[in-house]
Formats: sequence, structure tokens, C-alpha cells
Amino acid sequence: MIETLLTPLHYDYMLKAIGVSALIGGVCAFLSCFVTLKGWSLMGDALSHSVVPGVAVAYYLGWPFAAGAFFAGLLAAVGMGFVKTKTRLREDAVIGVVFTAFFALGLFLISVYPSEVDLRSIIFGNILGISGGDIVQVLVISGVTLLILGLKWRDLLLFCFDPNQARALGLNPAALHLLLLVLLSATAVAALQTVGACLVVAMLVTPGATAYLLTDRFGRMIGLAVAMGVGTSAVGAYASYFFDGSTGGCIVTLQSALFVVALVFARKHGLLAARARRRAAIAEVRA
Amino acid sequence: MSRLLEPFQFPFMVDAMLVGVAVGAVCAVLSCYLVLKGWSLMGDAISHAVLPGIVVAYALGVPLALGAFGSGLLCAVLTGYIKANTRVKEDTVMGVVFTGLFAFGLVLFTKIRSDLHLDHILFGNILGLAPGDLRDTLVVSGLTLAIVLVRRRDLLLFCFDPAQARTVGLPTTFLYYLLLSLLAMTIVVSLKAVGIILVIAMLVTPGCIGYLLSDRFGRMMAIAVAAAVGSSLGGVYLSFFIDASTGACIVLLQAAVFLVALVWAPKHGLLAGRRQRRLARDANAAAAAAERRG
Repeated sequence: MIETLLTPLHYDYMLKAIGVSALIGGVCAFLSCFVTLKGWSLMGDALSHSVVPGVAVAYYLGWPFAAGAFFAGLLAAVGMGFVKTKTRLREDAVIGVVFTAFFALGLFLISVYPSEVDLRSIIFGNILGISGGDIVQVLVISGVTLLILGLKWRDLLLFCFDPNQARALGLNPAALHLLLLVLLSATAVAALQTVGACLVVAMLVTPGATAYLLTDRFGRMIGLAVAMGVGTSAVGAYASYFFDGSTGGCIVTLQSALFVVALVFARKHGLLAARARRRAAIAEVRA
Repeated sequence: MSRLLEPFQFPFMVDAMLVGVAVGAVCAVLSCYLVLKGWSLMGDAISHAVLPGIVVAYALGVPLALGAFGSGLLCAVLTGYIKANTRVKEDTVMGVVFTGLFAFGLVLFTKIRSDLHLDHILFGNILGLAPGDLRDTLVVSGLTLAIVLVRRRDLLLFCFDPAQARTVGLPTTFLYYLLLSLLAMTIVVSLKAVGIILVIAMLVTPGCIGYLLSDRFGRMMAIAVAAAVGSSLGGVYLSFFIDASTGACIVLLQAAVFLVALVWAPKHGLLAGRRQRRLARDANAAAAAAERRG
């Protein structure tokens, strides 16, 4: 039994996958605190799908995949911003139109020029077979993102909570908006390797949402989210050894399970707590 | 010439075009409501959430469409429940729920040995329809269209102004679940044509095209249906020649129509907007000049 459980750890590629997943999980979780506060889930989903044509083109031209992906993500974000300001369409509809067009373009390119781009590894990630070069790209993206978040998290926090207040204090909301978009694209690109385009949004939303149920203080929320992101990603990557390599599925299933636990048992904002409060209120009224 | 007519000689191409037309039309009709209501993320969420339902239905030997419909609705209901009982924002809840279901579906998929093709579920397989597929698609699309047409005014008011709808005595809760069920049904029908990931395009883009081109709902819907049906036919036809993913071709054609509408729409397009701004500026300048003179 113990022998079986330890087998994954004997393989070099498993150790690498666990380490890299944990790092990406942590970075995404950090950012997820801002995404959940700002209400940008659809944006995260959209950007993670929009990077696909960039990946296809980058592989085709022999560029680093991250460069192509990042560029495509930013192009999509700019396109959405442009269409939204120029027409009367609602923001969510504009996001839907633009990101599906980008994704379809990626799918089209891959189906017409089948090269070594493996569609499956883009859609579901391929952390177990990640190449050395890709690891370097992920490390650089994560390092830079963490650095920027570490330096700017207070400004970003204020921007997410109350852009008007941020402007009144002399911050530039437009610049912060752009910064958050850039960070989101960058982490989406990194997470593409671990969980794939379909599940990136989970890494960018679930840890933050879970932490938000557990605490009222933002600093603690970041700490909790990062801890959960790192933990679930490492354990998920480990568990995927037993699940045919569906790393993304394992990581995100674990994250969702944690969310459910927090949802039910959170001390102040959980379902049980809410019910206890309601009951106490009723008792008080009766008395 | 005979080369251009070649696709029509193959029964599978004709079937694919019929399914494309049915799916395109029913998605376009629904997309008009979704665009007005701001439910793009809901469409995205339900379409991903059908995956575990399909896998479970396969394991139990139930029709796949039934499982898909069930887990799609489950996603919507869970979202509503969690949102009502916690302080987490709706879009976040939706993101958590649908990715959780999708991931769970993936894990299940690896554990259940099946002859399901994940690629077909994700990207559609309109050129390889099974014998009963055409009939099923036509029946379900027809049913969905009929329900929407019967309740179209109620649904419209519900999407535009739920408070007003409640005031005039419409059953808004019923309409909410009706729209959700119609959405889930449409998604399940469309899976074969474009797959889980691109269904959302069929459910948003045609409505946006219609909304850019018209101010009247009836006309908006007609334009949306025409754009979607045209793109479906064109996409299936094109994919025959360039050997590309059919779903991607359909969605790209829709996106192209959207771009054209975005630039040239007579009243709400980019060029029209620029012209209006210029006219306004000229009028202002003229008024200012007149004031100086007078």
C-alpha cells in the first residue's frame, strides 16, 4: 500500500510536475483574490481561451509558446475593450463573441496545419510531459508576476474594491486595470501548461472564492488562497499519476472539494453558520 | 462547377447541413434573449457543466442527452443556491461550480472505460452523425423553438425588466427556470454540431449581430437566425474543402459577420458612430459661430 503510494515520487518527471504545479497554483491563487473581488471570472475564462491561436502560431513559427500566447491574450483583451466602448453591446456579450472567435481561430489553425501542436495538451495541459524550455518560461512568468503582485498588491486591492476611491487617492485606475489584465494573461499562459485552457479559470477563481468564505481580512485571504492553491496543485499533480494523467481534472476537483467544505463549514460565512444564525434569530423573536 | 456541387452528393454532408441549420436557428433565437439578459457566462457555464452528466449517463446506460441536460441544470441550480446563501459574487460562484463539474467529469472520464470520444464531445462531430441524430436534433430544436415562440413576449419582458415583469403579474421564477431549461436543451442539441467549447459562440454571437443591426426585437431575431443559419451552412460547406474543424469554421464565419456588422451597421456601427460624432461637432461649431456673429 505505502509502496504504491510512494511510486509516483520515484519518477523524476512526477517530482518536476508536482513542483511546477505547486508554483503555478500559488501564483494563480494570489491573483484569484483580486479576480473574485473584481468579478472578473468571465474575463479569466475568456483570456485563457483566447491564448490558443497564439500558442498554435508560436509553435508553428518556432517561438517560445509563452510569447505567442501572451500576445494573443492581450490582443483579445484590447479587442474586447475596444468593442465595448464603441458599441451598445453588454460587456459579457462582447467578451463571449471575442474569446470564442479567438478560440475558433486557434482550433481552425491547428486542424488545418497539424504540426507538433497537440490540441489535447493545450486544452487539458500536459504538465507530466513538460519540456525543460517550457519550465523555464513558466518560472520566469511566475517570478515576475509574484514580484509585481508583491509590490503592487495594495494598489490593486484598492482598485478592485473601489476604483473611484483609488483615483481620488492619486492612483491611475486605467493603468491598474491594464496591469491586472496583463497579470491575468501571464498567469493564464503559465496555467495552460498545468491544467489546460478549459480549467485555467478554476485556478484563477476557486482559491480566492474559498478563502473569501473563510476570512474577512484581505491579507489573510491571500495567505489562505495561496496555501490552498499550492496544496491542491501539488496533491492533484501527485494524484494524477493514478488517474491517467488528467492532472487538470485532479487539481480542480480538489479545489472544488475544498470550496464545498468551506461553503458548508466556514465559521462565519458558511451555510451551517447562516442556518444557526437564522435559528437563533427566530428563537429570539419568539422569546 | 461540379467541384463546387460535390459536397451535396454525400449524404453525410447533407445531414450535417440540416443539423447545422436546425442548431444554428435555435441557438440564434435563444441568443437574442441571452444577449439582452447578460447571460453569456451562464451559457458558458452550462455548456461546460454537461460533461459529467454525459459520462455518468454513459456509465448507467441512460441516453446521453438526458444526463447532459441534468448536469447542465444542476450547475445552474447550484449556482443560484450558493449565490443566495453566501456573500460570494454570482460570476465567481458560476466559475467555481462549472469548472468543478467539468473537472469532475474529466476525472470520471479517465476512470470509466468507454468508447466515447472526448474530442467529439469537446469539438463536435457534425460530419459523423449517427443514424438517429438528425431526427433527434430536428425534434428537440423544433420543440425548443415552439416553446420560445409561444412565450416570446413574456420571456422578452423578463429579460428586459424582471421587476416590471413581476409587477404585471408574470410568473418570473417560472420564466427563469424556463429560460434555463431552454438554454440547457439548446446546448445539449448543439453539442454534436460544435461541441462543448464553442456552443457559447452560437449562443452569443448571432444575438450580438442582430442587436447591432436593429432596434426592434422581431427584426433582431430574424437577422440573428439568418446570420447563424448562413454561417452554419457556409461553415459545413467550407470545411469540406479545406479539411478544417467544422465547428471552428462555423464560429469563424459568425465572427466575420459580426465584424462586418460592427464596422458598417447603419446606426450602431463604428463608421456610423464616427459620422454621428462628426455631425455633432459640426453642428456645435455652427452654433458657436452663429452665436459669435449674433
